[in-house]
Amino acid sequence: MRIFIVLVLMLVSLSASVYQKNCVSCHKKLPIKIDKFFYRYLLKYSSAIETKYAMKLYLQNPQKENSILNPALLNRFGVKKKSKLNQKELEKAIDEYWDIYKVFGKLK
Amino acid sequence: MLKSWDTNLRQSEKKTLFSFFILYSFFIILLLSFISIAYYKTQKDFMLKDKRLELSKYANDEIKRLKYLHVNFDTVPRVYPRDKRFKSGIYDSVYTKIFSLLDSDKVDLNEDIYLQNGDIYYIKELESYYLGTKYVVIEVKDSGVWKRQAYENLVIYGGILLFAMLLMGYFLLYLLLKPMREALALLDRFIKDTTHELNTPVSTILSNIELSESVEVDKRLQKRLNRIKIGAKTISNLYQDLVFLTLSERVERKKEQVDIKKLLKERAEYFSLFLESKKIALKMDLKDGVTLWVDRNRLIKLIDNLFSNAIKYNKMRGGIEVVLRDNYFYIKDSGRGIEADKLEQIFKRYERADRSVGGFGIGLSIVSEIAQEEGLKIEIDSIFKEFTKVKVSW
Repeated sequence: MRIFIVLVLMLVSLSASVYQKNCVSCHKKLPIKIDKFFYRYLLKYSSAIETKYAMKLYLQNPQKENSILNPALLNRFGVKKKSKLNQKELEKAIDEYWDIYKVFGKLK
Repeated sequence: MLKSWDTNLRQSEKKTLFSFFILYSFFIILLLSFISIAYYKTQKDFMLKDKRLELSKYANDEIKRLKYLHVNFDTVPRVYPRDKRFKSGIYDSVYTKIFSLLDSDKVDLNEDIYLQNGDIYYIKELESYYLGTKYVVIEVKDSGVWKRQAYENLVIYGGILLFAMLLMGYFLLYLLLKPMREALALLDRFIKDTTHELNTPVSTILSNIELSESVEVDKRLQKRLNRIKIGAKTISNLYQDLVFLTLSERVERKKEQVDIKKLLKERAEYFSLFLESKKIALKMDLKDGVTLWVDRNRLIKLIDNLFSNAIKYNKMRGGIEVVLRDNYFYIKDSGRGIEADKLEQIFKRYERADRSVGGFGIGLSIVSEIAQEEGLKIEIDSIFKEFTKVKVSW
């Protein structure tokens, strides 16, 4: 039985997406929800291509200068650590993030 | 109607005048069209400028609602903000439509404000991209009042301007042509006066020669008399031509059935002395029974002019061929011919293809005029230095 539970847990962890595993899991612990970051990006970059590119650029090389957080939050939470995901995984995670929160098709 | 010879411009000048007037009108209309287009565009721009403020306010209202929706996207119903006063649409920075209530899918986001298919579009660029929106497009119906007003003004003022410019063109032309008219009138008056003075002496010479024909004279004297007769007939022909030109409108026309073969023979006989003097061989191939319903005297004038030219421009010991068929006759000479570039001009009055022989250049002008009045068609075929063939068909 114990072996079975371990196996199920392993399968679940394997089936979870890169975005779920690497992004949501950490952001859950933060007081600011992950969608708030998305709308801040949207507010600054507008289109899918520019938003995704800005996210990728930040995650690969997080700097105060290219962060979309306001200075107060930046001082409180600091700049995140550089992502350990490779380029392909990072793009995949960002794509999923975009698909979840994008405005396209959601307005009535 | 009496022809006022001094003041009326003749056919070719009228044609030139007409061509000038058409060209002038064309340029005036072209100019007015440009002015009209510019006026229409200005009126449209004024209207759009007026509308811009109102639409800018609508756009600001819409942006406020978008901002609210952006901030509360996960807490409020995701319903695109609508307004009864206008329709709107939102686009991202790469012109992708996020949401639109607009009538048209084709929106020019690079414009500020424009009119398309009866709708006015106003585009506002956002500084903060709420919901990813870089461009808000506001659409309202154009009432068309400005357009009706513009058309009305264009018709009224454009019409007045067109009329005034055409009138001005007419007077300008009249002024420009005045010296030419005066010169022509002077020439015509001179010819008319000369004509009057020619009649009596020519008639006297001819009647006296005819009287002397009944008396037997020696050959040398006869030869001299023949020369005088040819000279007198030449002047008489010229006199007839001038009378035709100056008085043709006053002479009553009398149509009758004319036997063309008989007439051609008669006129050939009339010119026999001329032919003899230049030793020109006349060959006639005339079909019997060809008749025409025309003014006999005018047809004589036409044929005489053709014969006269065929002799005048012929060489010594040349030939003339006269052929008559059911619906045409032609007179062909073995003369000096007419250069191709002068062929089109020869029907004009005072136009002479060859100035080496005498004449005023009125012969073919008369031929053309008579042919036109009698419903005949004239065709000229000529090879320079070889022949000239004038065909009269009906």
